Formats: sequence, C-alpha cells, structure tokens
Amino acid sequence: MPAVNAETVGWWEAACEHRLVVQRCTGCGRTRHPPGPVCPACRSTQAAWDELAGTGFVYTYTVVLQAFLPALADRLPYVVAAIELDGAGGARMVSDLVDMDPADVSVGLAVEVVWEDMSPELALPRFRPVRAGGAEAGH
Amino acid sequence: MSGPGRVAGRRRAVIAGVATSDYPVVPELSEHGVHGQAADRALADAGLTMADVDGYASAGFFPMYAAGVCEYLGLHPTYFDETNAGGASFEVLVEHAAYAVEAGAAEVVLVTYGSVQLSQMGRTLGTGAASRGGTAAPGPAIHDALWGNTLVGNYALAARRHMHEYGTTSEQLAAVAVTMREHAASNPRAQKREPITVDDVVSSRLVADPLHKLDCCVISDGGAACVVTTAERAADLKKAPVHILGAAHATTHQMNLSAMPDLTVTGAAQCGPLAFARAGITPADVDVAQLYDSFTITVVLTVEDLGFCAKGEGGAFVADGGLGLGGRLPTNTDGGGLSACHPGMRGMFLIHEAVRQLRGEAGPTQVPGAGVAVAHGTGGMLSASATLVLGRDAP
Repeated sequence: MPAVNAETVGWWEAACEHRLVVQRCTGCGRTRHPPGPVCPACRSTQAAWDELAGTGFVYTYTVVLQAFLPALADRLPYVVAAIELDGAGGARMVSDLVDMDPADVSVGLAVEVVWEDMSPELALPRFRPVRAGGAEAGH
Repeated sequence: MSGPGRVAGRRRAVIAGVATSDYPVVPELSEHGVHGQAADRALADAGLTMADVDGYASAGFFPMYAAGVCEYLGLHPTYFDETNAGGASFEVLVEHAAYAVEAGAAEVVLVTYGSVQLSQMGRTLGTGAASRGGTAAPGPAIHDALWGNTLVGNYALAARRHMHEYGTTSEQLAAVAVTMREHAASNPRAQKREPITVDDVVSSRLVADPLHKLDCCVISDGGAACVVTTAERAADLKKAPVHILGAAHATTHQMNLSAMPDLTVTGAAQCGPLAFARAGITPADVDVAQLYDSFTITVVLTVEDLGFCAKGEGGAFVADGGLGLGGRLPTNTDGGGLSACHPGMRGMFLIHEAVRQLRGEAGPTQVPGAGVAVAHGTGGMLSASATLVLGRDAP
C-alpha cells in the first residue's frame, strides 16, 4: 500500500478516477515526480495537477527474475520500467509493463497506461505497449 | 585537508589506525560485537586505547545508532556522528571526523561499522533499509517500489540506460566481477576466491536483467573501523599516519530513481572533482582506488564520474583490464564487495584497504609505491556518493 500524505494524496485521488497526473509548480511551471511539498527549482509550495494523456516511452527497463518479497514471486518474470511521460515536461515515472512478453521490451518502446483497481480507494497505473489504432501519442 | 573548516598550517587530519573484524561469516557475534572487535583492533593498530577516544561515528538503520554502539563500547564521547548515506556513509563520517579534529572539536575519533546481515537475515539481497523486514519509509520514498521494483532492479535500470546510450555490453560489466575475483584470490578472508570468467558471469542466472547473479555483490557478516586524529597526535603512534588530503560528498535522490536526473550520472560527478580539487590532485595522480562495487555497473559509472575516463567509456575501461593490478587504476585490491565481503554498507572496508595500500601492507595485491589512494562510496539506489582522497605523504 502506498504511503499517502499531504503531498501525494492528490496524485492517488486522481489515480482512483483513472486519471494519470503530474505535479506542476504553479510558480515556475516545472514538473516533478514523485510529488513533493516544494518546487526544487523555485521553492514555491503552490502546485497543480496536470492531467496527462497516459502515454509515453520506455526510458530504461529491467526484467525482474528474482523476487525479494514472497508476494511478488508468482509474477515473475515481470518488467519494471522508467517511463518518460508525454506532456509531463521530462518527468519520469517508474512503473511496470503488463500485457506483453518481457522479451519484447526495449528502450524507446511506446506505452500507454492501463488501470488496475486494487480496492475502491486505490487504483494502480501500469503500462502496456501502444497498440495499432490505440492512443496516438506514441510519436 | 582542504575544504570547509581548514586552517592552513595548523591541525591536519590523519588516519592512525585501521582494522576489520572477522568476516565474511561471524554467527558467533552480534552486530555490536562486530563493532567491538573492529574497534579494538583498529585502536590496537594505532597504538591507542578506548581511553584516548573522545569522538565516535557510525551509521546504521536505527535512530540514535551511534549512541547505541557507544553504550555497548562504554564510550562517552563529546563528539559523535551517525550520518547515514547508505554504502557511502563511512566516507562521509571520516570526512566529518577530519573536520572535527581539524577544528579542535575532537582529538581522537573512532569510526566503526558492524553488520551480521548474512547470519541474521539469510541470503536476502540488499544494501539498505528496504530489504530489512519491510519497514516502509515515510512519504513518497517508496513510490517507485510499489510496482515491484527491487534494489537490484534499480541498478539494472541504470545499467540498461548506460547500454542504450553508450553501447556498453554485459561482457564489459562482467569484466569488473572477473577482476575483483582475481584480487580476492589473494585475500584469505574473501568470501569467494575461485577464479571466474566473463562467460561465467554472463551465463549466471539473471536477477534483474541485464544484471546477473555474478554482477551482484556477495552478502556477508563483518565490519571494519578506523581512527581519525591529528598528524601531531599520530606522530608518536605505532604506525605511520595516512593523510586525509581531501573529501566531498553529494546526493542526487533517495529511493526513487524516477527523481534521478540522469540514470547514467551519479553524484560522483559532483563530489569526485570537488574532493580532488580540495586535495590538490587530478585523477592522473591516483595510484590505487577502492570503489564501491555493490554491482558491476556501479564501478563503471564511478570510474567515469570520477574522471578516470570519459562518460560512456567505462565499459571499455574495465574490459581492457583497467581495474587490474597492472591496469590504469588498480581497484578493490581486497576483492571488493563483489567477491571479498559486503555486509550491507561496505564503505569502511574501502578505507581500510586504501590505508593498507598506502602503508605498503597489502601483500600480494600491493600496488608498488602507492602514494595516493581514493576510497569512494556509493549508497542507496545510486543515491549518495562520497569521495575520500588519502595520501602516504603529508600535503
């Protein structure tokens, strides 16, 4: 379970509504992820949530083949990736890739968000390769 | 040492004694017991006793950690420090200790490390709090981990990006592990001593692609200690002092790699040049290096960021024998964390081996005439970096 606090609650509330957002400083416009209390660039404490298209590219990835938590053992192998999100001003998000053969992952792969409802209060954004005819942001 | 707090021509910090505890498996000792064994040996090495110690430093994973070890050791210091920078902690603590003795805040600072990670927790990979029983860090610190990323996975993300940008190969990464094992063969205490080849590394099972089992450090028990004092105090002690010429540290993020600006550039790119400038040296002046080797990629990134080669050329540097005894930068002459010992935060072992080299005590892996050594720690998820420049001769 994520540790929800004053800085991250907005991100998780949006996720619950299946909206992928990034925190943007309303002082200087810089984006940041994970969410935080103050802008690292201009020190402003004022921020807003920018809704994203939910698409992006794999910046880097790993295929995890050994689980260090027993709860994850039955997911092996699975792909963890740092995703550069479209429209997020360079902010990257670490997530996992689903609905694909781990052998097909590569740096630069276009991906789109899929939502997994974990409970009525918690939805987890995950990503899958952009399919033909799907979202168009994978330029 | 040059840097904040330095007053030229006055007190200068040195390392007067070093030691390790028994390692790599010490089921008969508690964590504090490891501290105690390393402490007694380091003080004996310096020709000092606990009665001479007025400062103490250590890092661990509990609040008031230093005070806890002091209670065990019977120390009541008037200077103490427990700055935690993961695997880089002990380079930071020795830098702080140097400032303290140079400023006159302490005369003799004992710095100790102890861990029984292997005996206490079995074979679970990890170098940080995230692996120690699932205690969640506050705030967004665990953000990235929610999607199943592992400690090794973080380093794998960096390795994959380095491969993508610079064409680095698994075989080049493997060369780091092979060289460390060659050095470990001369260390009777090393956890792994049998020779390995590049093929052995790349054919060992993948833990988090592209990192194989043999790209990862061993998991050990053990500890080490050093004694920091002034050159004046050390002048009539047992061993020739090793001079702390310069130091610096830096951080880029904590547990979330999503917040790391560039996954191929560590904080070493900041603190390395700063430490060298404070020491008045360049990378070309370094005779021997002890570089944190939690994973093979850690060493490749470090040799680049410290300026021993250009960014992107680390793969070729290590594959061409650059880290070997006859190479451009003899590195981890005790076998490193990849082969000798890695109890979780190995930074003190780096300092121990650097001092042995500068004293000419390193035996079969002695670098002839070593005059300048670098100990460089890397902690967390490539999160914190710390560089210590040590010299045989007074600055």
